[in-house]
Amino acid sequence: MKKRREIDYEKSIQGNVLMRLMSYAKPYWHWMLTAFILVLLITGLELYRPVLVGNAMDEFINTGNFSGVQKTAIIYLMVLIISFVFNFLQAWILQLAGQNIIYNIRQEVFHHVHKLSLRFFDITPVGRLVTRITNDVEALNEMYANILVKLLKNIIKIIGLALVMLSINMKLSFYAFILLPFIIGLTMLFKSISRATYRVARTKLTIINTYLSEHISGMKLIQIFAREKEKYKEFEEKSVDLYKANFREMMVFAIFRPSIYILSVVSLVTIIGVGGDLVIRGTITIGTLYIFIQYINSFFEPIQELAEQLGTLQSAMASAEKIFTILDEEPMIVNPENPTMLTGIKGRIEFQQVWFAYEGENWILKDVSFTIEPGQRVAFVGATGAGKSSILNLIGRYYDIQKGKITIDGVDIKEMNTDQLRSAIGQVQQEVFIFTGDIKSNIRLKNETISDEDIKKAAAYVNADRFIEQLNHTYEEAVSERGATLSAGQRQLLSFARTLAYDPAILVMDEATANIDTETEQLIQEALEKLMEGRTTIMVAHRLSTIQHADKIIVMHKGKLRESGTHQELLNLGGIYKKLYELQIQ
Amino acid sequence: MKDINIIFKYIKKYKWKYIAGILILFIVDFLNLYIPQFTGEITDGLESGTMDRNGVMLGIAKIVIVGLILALGRFGWRYYIFGSSRAIECKLRNDLFAHLETLSMSYFNKNKTGDLMAHFTNDLNAIRMATGPAVITSFDAGIMTIMVLTKMILYVDLRLTLLAVIPLIFLGVGGVYYGMAIEKRFDEKQQAFSELTDQVQESISGMRVIKAFVQEHKELKAFAKANQKNKDRNLKVVKLQAFIMPLLDILIGFSSVITLIYGGYLTITGEITIGRFIAFNQYINMLVWPMIATGDSITFFSQGFASIKRVQNIFNEKPEIYEDETVRNIDHLEGKIQFTDLNFRFTSETPEVLKHITVEVKQGNTLAILGRTGSGKTTIANLLLRMYNAPRGTIRLDGYDIREIPLKTLRENIAYVPQDNFLFSDTLQNNIAFGSDHKEIELVQKAAKEANIHDNIMNFPLQYATLVGERGVTLSGGQKQRSSIARALMKNAPILILDDALSAVDTDTEEQILANLKENRNGKTTIIIAHRISTIQNADHILVLDSGEMAEYGTHEELMAKHGIYADMYEKQQLEQQLEAV
Repeated sequence: MKKRREIDYEKSIQGNVLMRLMSYAKPYWHWMLTAFILVLLITGLELYRPVLVGNAMDEFINTGNFSGVQKTAIIYLMVLIISFVFNFLQAWILQLAGQNIIYNIRQEVFHHVHKLSLRFFDITPVGRLVTRITNDVEALNEMYANILVKLLKNIIKIIGLALVMLSINMKLSFYAFILLPFIIGLTMLFKSISRATYRVARTKLTIINTYLSEHISGMKLIQIFAREKEKYKEFEEKSVDLYKANFREMMVFAIFRPSIYILSVVSLVTIIGVGGDLVIRGTITIGTLYIFIQYINSFFEPIQELAEQLGTLQSAMASAEKIFTILDEEPMIVNPENPTMLTGIKGRIEFQQVWFAYEGENWILKDVSFTIEPGQRVAFVGATGAGKSSILNLIGRYYDIQKGKITIDGVDIKEMNTDQLRSAIGQVQQEVFIFTGDIKSNIRLKNETISDEDIKKAAAYVNADRFIEQLNHTYEEAVSERGATLSAGQRQLLSFARTLAYDPAILVMDEATANIDTETEQLIQEALEKLMEGRTTIMVAHRLSTIQHADKIIVMHKGKLRESGTHQELLNLGGIYKKLYELQIQ
Repeated sequence: MKDINIIFKYIKKYKWKYIAGILILFIVDFLNLYIPQFTGEITDGLESGTMDRNGVMLGIAKIVIVGLILALGRFGWRYYIFGSSRAIECKLRNDLFAHLETLSMSYFNKNKTGDLMAHFTNDLNAIRMATGPAVITSFDAGIMTIMVLTKMILYVDLRLTLLAVIPLIFLGVGGVYYGMAIEKRFDEKQQAFSELTDQVQESISGMRVIKAFVQEHKELKAFAKANQKNKDRNLKVVKLQAFIMPLLDILIGFSSVITLIYGGYLTITGEITIGRFIAFNQYINMLVWPMIATGDSITFFSQGFASIKRVQNIFNEKPEIYEDETVRNIDHLEGKIQFTDLNFRFTSETPEVLKHITVEVKQGNTLAILGRTGSGKTTIANLLLRMYNAPRGTIRLDGYDIREIPLKTLRENIAYVPQDNFLFSDTLQNNIAFGSDHKEIELVQKAAKEANIHDNIMNFPLQYATLVGERGVTLSGGQKQRSSIARALMKNAPILILDDALSAVDTDTEEQILANLKENRNGKTTIIIAHRISTIQNADHILVLDSGEMAEYGTHEELMAKHGIYADMYEKQQLEQQLEAV
């Protein structure tokens, strides 16, 4: 498994990034092509404009032919209007294609991430994934919508300009090109320096932002320890660092821009000097000189733009690489090709010699076997790290076991459709995740087939209705991320209602140990009783009362199943459970 | 108008630089006009055959000299004006941070860290744009337009100028409209993007629930909606841009057409020379920038003013906790604490979180506070540290009302271990010595030993120089907690508050730390807030809080005999402990 992923990684590094990026543009190739043709036409028209005026000067203005001037003006006007239309169409088509491509990539990444196994999320920070789907994908837009075509456009423009100039006058063209290496050299030099200074400034900015975020969060501590002065000095130092980096960045521009300007002046005077000489000698006309003066200015633009675009292309590729790394991440839990579909899950669960480790040989479960009959209530008892919670996770196949077999109603869970499997299992967790939305949307999640009636029924059944009815907007009351507005007990009740609304055959739960006020605790206990009714229930229990009432108690110790049986049977056994119980009763 | 004052205060400091910058800008804009003129003179001379090679050379020399001055000048105004705006930004950033340090907890509770940081990034950035680039754009928009127009009129022709400028006026007006329209669409786009981000963030954070309830496909569908919205909003922005950019081009083109027809006519009739005709074409191009600059400067200023207002609001925020005239000259505390009928609520709209608390802690005694989440335990600690103001007369230290004690004295004499074990991303040595003026390693080690963290630290490769957090080691909850205890012990203060500070360490370590405390804090006052009975059973007195009220108060034995909340909690916690012990 591991090996295969390494190979994939290498493949994406090996410069196929661009090819892969292009493959997303494929469905829109005819749009891209249209835009490209339009760009060619636009460039041609742009180059034609000075020629029009130059010719008019030579042929009409010099000869006093005003109707010729008028004719030229009409042509010029038409060129303008056509350019306008083409320009608009070109930009719009490309942006449309770009946005569509971005939309598709984003859907794909989001979809792919949701297919990945929990293990992936255990080891990948949320923030990183969010950045991939949002900012990194956004960075690609610029490439599809602008860079690709403009890159071509500028190359064509430079070549076109050169060709036109050459065709008009070879000698003058040669002088116009003399400075080209300097311009390119200077631009390249500037790009590399400015990129370096930019990077430094970014780093300093990140440092100061990290510092700010940390110290605003830790402001209480600063005040409690009376460290305001010292912290201010630290901040000032970082702030001045950033200032210096910004200043340097500004200086790079302040030096580069005038330098390029000087080069443009030099090339202008070169053209005037040489061209003037040729005019005096009568080799070229004054109109030709005008055309060259105009062209020499437009020569600078595409070269500098080109440098800019190559930089953007680079950063887009960097983003793309990060996105592809995620897309290349293979889900560890894959649905079988021909899953065994069960009609109505009864809830008989069997572990057969199960061995499980999150990583390598670090066994969390060692050779664990047990059977749970439909409708049974089973409590797992054991210290932290005994493997209780892992058992809960394995039943829903959130992780795959290394050895042994887990079956539900006699079918290996690896042969089942994971969607069917997980739908049959209701999970109640200690930490209840609340989605931004309202109470209703937190009970039904995104399943629209659960009606408002169903929601109210579920809430009433698990005693959640009492607190919900007291909220200002009852079921429409807005709740925020992490449920900050609800108490721990209320969140528990809400999660019960959520679980009940999905009516699972099997209930898997981690009994809450959080400090919940006495009143709510009573409600929760009642609700739990109702929830467990008629369902196979597997729980990690913390309270003696819950444990005692279980049909079966399984004692786990260091990854091994040590004892199992009813309360009375285990007491008779005289093992760990008995010791526990006696200590408790004292 | 009052809002803008604050920024003038900063600008004033750099007024000479601004004056120098603007002067240079003036020279640059003025000289800039001569390049087309010189070019025009040469072409004219060549056209009429009145100029020989030397004449051309002289013209070229003039262009080069002006070009050099221009280059220098362009460096100069960037240096003075952009430089000053950067300096103002830096100064403002420092002052803003200093001001935040004086504000009270309630301010930080009200304002999210992210929002406060946005002031440092977005607002300062907008202010910098208004004090730097906006100066240039508005100067160019005004002065440069006038100068170019003057030149066109004087050097070429008034009528031609008036006609050719008509399309450019649309450019200026359009620019302002465009600035407003694009900003609105841009905001909408940002909005859609942040909605998209929120949705992704939540979906990934809630992955467990999504998988457990098999919601993957429904999530994807919901995401498609946000994704589509983001796309649509983006397209709205680019549609405008796709239209405006060619429009700019066509408007300039119209000017060129007018120039061609009417200028051509004037040239034919001999009213202007061909050289001037060429120069005029160049002047038209020179007017494009000032027109765009008009729109830009309006945008810069309007955003800048909005940001200045927001920053000003922070500066106007007054600290709630400050020393008033009743403060006495006290520089040391002994450690006697009295609560007298303490009632407290955070704001007048919220319910009371503490009700009728009356407790006395003698110097050198230990008070334990126990209670469920939300029962008011931490609030007591916060009030003692004066993070909030308790009503006068309800909290006394050494017999003085807490408000009579200087803030610095109060906080220097109380060592506090907070619940959340916040450590800075700094070395362990600096973290432990955080509250102390003496940072000697011996003292740090002594505190670390007392907090039972010394051995762990010595096991890190860099020992006390180990960085905490993302760039260094990730400490476990227990290690963080013990480092935080060491940080408090290092202060060696007469009063120590442990706010649920032993929850993440195992029972053995807890016992050792408690024993160390007993030994080293002889004669000093300690307040221990905890959930675990084992932590507190040896305290001199135990206060059990329930919804802010004193539910039970007494020694361990007294409370056990009462068979109330305390006894009940004790029973429940036994099972947990025994499970661990098996």
